[in-house]
Formats: sequence, C-alpha cells, structure tokens
Amino acid sequence: MTDANTTLLARARTPETVSVTPAKPSNPLDAEWRRILGLREMGVYYALILLVVIVAVISSYLGKPNYLSTLNLTNILYQSSLTGIMAIAMTVILITGNFDLSVASVAAFAGAIFIGTAEVLGFWPGVGLAMLVGIVSGLVNGSIVQYLKINAFIVTLGTLTAIRGVMLIYTDGRSLSVSDPAVLDMMKAFESGRVPIGLALYVIATLMLIGGLWIAFRRASRGGLLNPAAAGLVLGSIVLGTLSFIGGPDVSVGKPVIYLATFGSVIWFIMTFTTVGRRIYAVGGNAEAARLSGINVQRYKLMAFVLCSAAAAFAGVLFAARLRSINPAALTGEELTVIASAILGGTSLFGGAGSVVKTLAGALLLYTLTNGFNIMNLGANYQGLIEGLVVIAAAAIYTVGGNRRKSKTG
Amino acid sequence: MADDMPLMRLEQVVKAFPNGTLALRGVDLDIDRGKVHGLLGANGAGKSTLIKILSGAYPATLGSIFWKGNAVTWTDPKQANDMGVATIHQHIPLVPTLSVLENVFLGESGKWRHDSSYGKRFATLCSQIGYEVDPTALVGDLQIGQRQMVAILKAIGAGAELIVMDEPTASLATEEREIVYRVVRQLCESEGKAILFVSHFLDEVMKLTDQVTVLRDGRAVMRANTSDLDEARLAEAIVGREIAALEAVTSERAARANQVASARPLLEVKNLKSEEVKLAEANFVLHVGEVIGIAGLLGSGRSELLHAIFGADEFASGTVLLDGKEIPKSTTKAVKSGLALVPEDRLKQGLVPEFELWRNTTLPFLGGVSWNRWFPVRERERERGAEAIKRLQIKAPDPDIVVDELSGGNAQKVTIAKWLFSDIKVFLLDEPTAGIDIGAKTDILMLVRTLAASGKGVIIVSSEFEELLAVADRIIVMRDGKFVGERLVGETTEHELVRMAGSQGQQRQLH
Repeated sequence: MTDANTTLLARARTPETVSVTPAKPSNPLDAEWRRILGLREMGVYYALILLVVIVAVISSYLGKPNYLSTLNLTNILYQSSLTGIMAIAMTVILITGNFDLSVASVAAFAGAIFIGTAEVLGFWPGVGLAMLVGIVSGLVNGSIVQYLKINAFIVTLGTLTAIRGVMLIYTDGRSLSVSDPAVLDMMKAFESGRVPIGLALYVIATLMLIGGLWIAFRRASRGGLLNPAAAGLVLGSIVLGTLSFIGGPDVSVGKPVIYLATFGSVIWFIMTFTTVGRRIYAVGGNAEAARLSGINVQRYKLMAFVLCSAAAAFAGVLFAARLRSINPAALTGEELTVIASAILGGTSLFGGAGSVVKTLAGALLLYTLTNGFNIMNLGANYQGLIEGLVVIAAAAIYTVGGNRRKSKTG
Repeated sequence: MADDMPLMRLEQVVKAFPNGTLALRGVDLDIDRGKVHGLLGANGAGKSTLIKILSGAYPATLGSIFWKGNAVTWTDPKQANDMGVATIHQHIPLVPTLSVLENVFLGESGKWRHDSSYGKRFATLCSQIGYEVDPTALVGDLQIGQRQMVAILKAIGAGAELIVMDEPTASLATEEREIVYRVVRQLCESEGKAILFVSHFLDEVMKLTDQVTVLRDGRAVMRANTSDLDEARLAEAIVGREIAALEAVTSERAARANQVASARPLLEVKNLKSEEVKLAEANFVLHVGEVIGIAGLLGSGRSELLHAIFGADEFASGTVLLDGKEIPKSTTKAVKSGLALVPEDRLKQGLVPEFELWRNTTLPFLGGVSWNRWFPVRERERERGAEAIKRLQIKAPDPDIVVDELSGGNAQKVTIAKWLFSDIKVFLLDEPTAGIDIGAKTDILMLVRTLAASGKGVIIVSSEFEELLAVADRIIVMRDGKFVGERLVGETTEHELVRMAGSQGQQRQLH
C-alpha cells in the first residue's frame, strides 16, 4: 500500500516530457554522486557506522569492556552469520517479487533431520539429507505459489506452521542430541574453531585497491571523471586494510563467517554480473514484461524458493552443529529477523529491487544492536522496542527519503 | 461583463522541473464556458504537464492562472477540485470494489455510507448527461467505456464547471466513443460546462470541439476556432511539418505488393484456439515479407490471438509452425525460434519500468551483449541502447534514462527496439500506435514496412483501420474471437472493414 502510494507520488513528481534540449546543463556525474551518497542508497551503511560509534562511545564512557576489540567485532560477525545466510537468500526471493515466511521452520526441521540422522548415517549423509529436506521444502513452496498461483505470503504462512508440525512429529516434541564422539568431532570441525583471515584480508584489500585504481585510470584515460565504483573500491580497500592492520595478522573469525562470506560473494556476483541476476531483477520488476520477453519467469521464481529453503537448511545444520542438539522450538521467530535484515538493507517487498550487500549490512545492524545491549548491560527488555523502531525508521527513510530509483546491483 | 471573461485563463505559464527539463515554455490558454476546447500536441509537447497544472497536481513555475477572472494558485488537486475543476485521467482512478453510486459520491463528506438522497441525485446526474448506468453495479465489473462515464458522473456530481478529459477515447471502441461525444456535447450545450478535451485523434477533435489549442515543444503554437481549420492544418501544427505520412507508407507497400504473393510461407497457424479467452479456431499462413493486419474492435480476440501465437496463453491449443518447425507453447521457446511480441499495454506488459532504456533494450537477448553468454557487458549494452535511440529516433537524452520517465510514444519505441537486435523472423505487434502522436506513428509504420522489406513477417493489430490499409498487405477481420473475413488491401475500404468488425455490435444495439 505504501509502495503504491510512493509510486503515485513519485510519478506525480516525474516529468512526463523529456527535454530534447537540456535547458540547464547539470553535470550528470554530480547527480549520480548525489544519488549514490543519498540516504536511500547508503542509509544502511550510515546507520551501521553511526550505531557502532554510539555504542563504542557509550561503552567506553561507562567503563565497559572494549566494544571495538577485535574479539567483540568478530563475535558480532559470528552471531549474525546464520541470519545473514538466510537473509541473503531472502533478498533474492524478495527481488523476484515473492516472500518466504517458512525459513525458520525449514531451518529447524533440517537441523532436526541432521541431528537425528547424523549418528545413524554418518555426518555428511546427515548434512545431505538435511539439505535435501530444504530443497524439497523450497520446491513445495515454489510449486504451490507458481503453479497454483496462491499468494506466497499465505502459502509460506501455512508451511511455516506445517513444517514446524512435521518437525514436532519427527522429534515427538522432544529435544534431539548427538552423543557419538566421532560425529561430535565432525560437527566441531564443521562449525566451531576459528580461521585466521589476516592474510586474506590484506590480499582482498590489495585486490580492491588495484581494481579501484584500474577502473579510475581507465575512466581517466577516456577523459572521464572519478566514478563512484572506483572510489568505493579504493575507500573499501583502505578501510579493510586499516582494520586488518589493527587486528594484526592473527585476526580470526568463526567458520560460519567464512561460509557467510563465501555464500554472500557468490550470490552478489551472480546478481550483479550475470545474465541470471539481470533476469531475476527483471522478473521482479515486471513479471509480465519478462515473460513476454521470453524469460522463463516460473523457473526463476521457483528457483528462488529453492535457494531460500536450501540456505535455510544450511543455516539449520550450522545451528544444530553449534549446539550439538536441537529442541522443537528452535529458531522460532527467526524468519522475522531475517526479513527485517532484508528490509533494513532496502529490499523492496514488491520485487525488483534489493541488494545482497546491503542486506548483510542490515543483519549486522541488528546484531550490533543486540551486542551493544549486552555489552552495555542495558535491560534486554528494551531491545525488542528499539529493534522494531529501527526497522520502521529504515522503511520510512526508504519510502519517503531520496530518490526513487532503486538499487539494481547485487 | 463576467460572461466575456474566460472561465479559465492561463498566461505565460512556464514549468521547469528540478532535473532541468523545461516542459512548458510560456503557454497561454483560454477556456470558455459552454465550449469544448480541444488540446492537441505530440508526445512530449507538454500536454500532460499542462493538465497537471490545471488540475493542481503541479504548481506552475512562472506565469499566472485565472479562474473566473481571479488569479489563483493551487497547491494540490483537492483545491482545484473544490473550486470546480475536475480532471478525468487516462487511467481512471475509481475504486473497483465499490458500486457505481458509491464511487460517484466518494468525495461527499456525509457521515453514512449510504445516504437516501444519493439515489435521487444520481438519477438527476444521469438525466443531465443522458446516459444510464446501473448504480448498484460494481465498478470493477464495468467495461472501460462505462467507467469513463462513471468518472464523468463523479465529476459533475462534485459540481465541476471545467472538466479536463485526458484522452478519454484512447482505449474505447467506436460505439463507446460515440457515447462519449454525445455526453460531451450535452454537457456543454445544455449544462454550460466547459470541457478541455485532450486527444490524439484529429477527426474527433474536428468533429467535437469548438476551439483548439495546439502545443508543440512546450509552447502553444496554434489557438483557433475549429470551424476555421481542417485536419491537414491541425496535423501540420502538431508535427510542425506537412505529413505525407500514411501516403509514404502506402507507396512503400505498393511497390512491393506483387512479390509477396509468390513468397514462401513463414508462419503457419493451424487450429489455434483458446476457450478460456473465447478464441475460436484460427488458421492462416504468413508469408516471408508479408504484413498481415488484424482488424477488430476491443474485445474481438485480436490480442488473445497474438498471445496464443506467441505461446503466452497457457490454455491455448493448436499448432504454430515457423519455417515448417513447430514452436512449443512457451514464450521462451517462441523467442528462441524467432517470434517477437510487442504487447498492447507497454508499461504493464512491455517494459520493466524501473530499468534504464538500455537494460530494457537488451532484456530478450542478453546473451548477445554478454561475455561468454553469462556476463553482460555494460558498455556493449549501453551502445545497443544508444543505437536503439538513433534507429527509432527515440526522444531520450541518453540510454541511461529510466523508461517510466519516457513519454508514451517513446516508451512504445523501446518495446519495439528490444526485438530489433537479433534474428527475429516474425513480429507480432499489438496496437503499436495506440495513443501516440503522428510523428512517432509514421516512424513505427515505416519501420514495419522496412522489416517486411527485409524478409520479416509482421502481424499488426490496430483499431485504426486506415493505418492497417496503409501498412498491411492483407487484412483479417476479427469479431468475438472469430475470423469473419479476409481481404487484400487493394480490395477493401475502411468502410467495409468497420462494417465487418462492428456489425455484431450494431445488432446488439437494435435489441
């Protein structure tokens, strides 16, 4: 409803006519910069930086443990990794114009299958079976939505409850756990333990610097000015380089963070640089136009459901491996955090717009809040209220503020 | 004294947009009571902007607006509405889930949903315009022409003295248009309302209006009494040059007419039908280099036929052969085999509104502008967008413009342009010239002939039969989902086509 209204407003503001003779020579690059640095495009990053600064200042003022320590920051990454993985896939499904409320149930059920079968079948077959459960759930969701043409919100609201119900039947309402030491070792190796990333960060920072400079030089050699992509890459490399320098070569993160980074990079790459990504945005932007352009809309939308449920299953496996057990109420309500991350990242609930990277920033924002509450010892009672207000404020900024052109890169 | 004063008067109105576009460069406009005032202009001439200023949706940047002799500044449509200016937009903003009565009195400030006086007032309104419609019917169930009438009822119900009608007949069939004309005349002559009638159709402007203002490039280039004008002068004022438009297309066609008959079949349609959309069995053959026109009124099954051929209708059955090979029923396969569809509703079906021009242009054939078929190269895509702009003379500053900022005719050109960069053999064009100005229309019709000359096949649907007579080699007439006649262009006239396409409707009127 709000989106429809904004479109109307935006339309009212849009000139119907295109001037053939530019009346006022305005630098297009200036406008581009203004758009890119505007709240709509960068809001989530500004909010994240602002929040980190506020929490850091308050916690040091109150004499709490150092908020900006490497350990704490990597902890935030670790805590947000499961949500992050699901939120990335959720972004893709939202971009195609659909919706999936069943992710948390799928994750919990996949986790239960994994715990329940890992001792009997072995660790990897258990993982495989859990992933299979995810993929099948995605196919079921997607097929009902796409072939019976029932609204995705309603279908996944149903499967949210139904899959949780299947899980209850499977576990008989009790917690499942693993006691076989061999399997426990495998789980530990899979989920726990930290991976040093100092060197990798240096390499990535260097590559970004080279890439940014290369784009800038290529642009400059054609007489162009500095373009935003180049500036972003250079700036990013400086920030990353500084961080890894401060953290030292021994800085390490939990394995789920590596999984998150890998999954996020792959999806970002696909959404930004491949024909598949372009078509996904087109399908969400105007499904009928995409269909009449020869794009197999059904398949793209169905595959988004499969991706979403598979990512949820993987997150469920990670969750179960972390606790070495699972209880029937595990991850209840997690889907809301996942969707909130995507919304904070500026993903449109009506399809066609969204960005994987910003969704990740959204997830980090939410977990930075949680972490800040913990570290400052503020009552957890306020947490829900604050988080809710942040989500609404973000949605308000995206709807009211700035340019209506939406992000179409991963 | 007050009677001499125009009801509404615009003096040197200028509208500049923040992005630097100068949509209006000083427009004068006088609208008198009891007169139908025609507003004409090509796409991008500033008509829409002017209407929005009149209706209060935009403030004017410079210049003044006088309403009944007093200078006014409106900051939102409600104020204009309250003073007596009602605007009926092309896309009629009625609530489809409410009844006709409720829609007409939606703006009333009473407490109750139903007021006993509404029924009586509705009947009075109906008799004022001489048109009856069931007040309890849901607006969503009405035909588009009837909705148009409901919008008019709503406007006079709210006490409007000036009614701005933005292309009210663009999507109407002939009989529905006649009703609009009659109502418009009645409103002026017996009710003394003023009407600003915006239209692309020169003949209806000639027939209906008392005065005309023509806009071109943001200026009013002509202001005259309709009785002093003819269509040729109007057209000249609109495009700024003499149009030999359709004649040029016709002669282009005539030069090649003989070759078509002997050409080999390109597209064969066999037993194609779709009960879901009431499309009766269709059988025909399209030859290499041939243009088939489909003549039919709204609801005659013409769009449904194109969608069925293109594999976009999942309920359709039958065979479509291209170069002797059957095309499976899927839009993906159809495009791969070499079919292209330019759908009727360009923004809803043809374009991704938030994509730039270049992103829309390359959508069907991303592989061709990609590295290793998987990775689209932006530079190549933008080049293609620039080429589309050049080839179809799209009025756009650069390929980076977002398509929903383009005017109708230019957006239409983009929906065609996206098919021009690969090996398409058959083009299915659904009303490609609806609601666009003469210049763009001629460009598109010439393009159709160029495509045919290069060995493509074209099936073109249009409500304007004179266009079909100019551009097509053969015309198939459709009515109620059936083929009711087939003529070579040389053997038929517009009159005959209208009669064949519309006789069913006439019979209905007799009952």
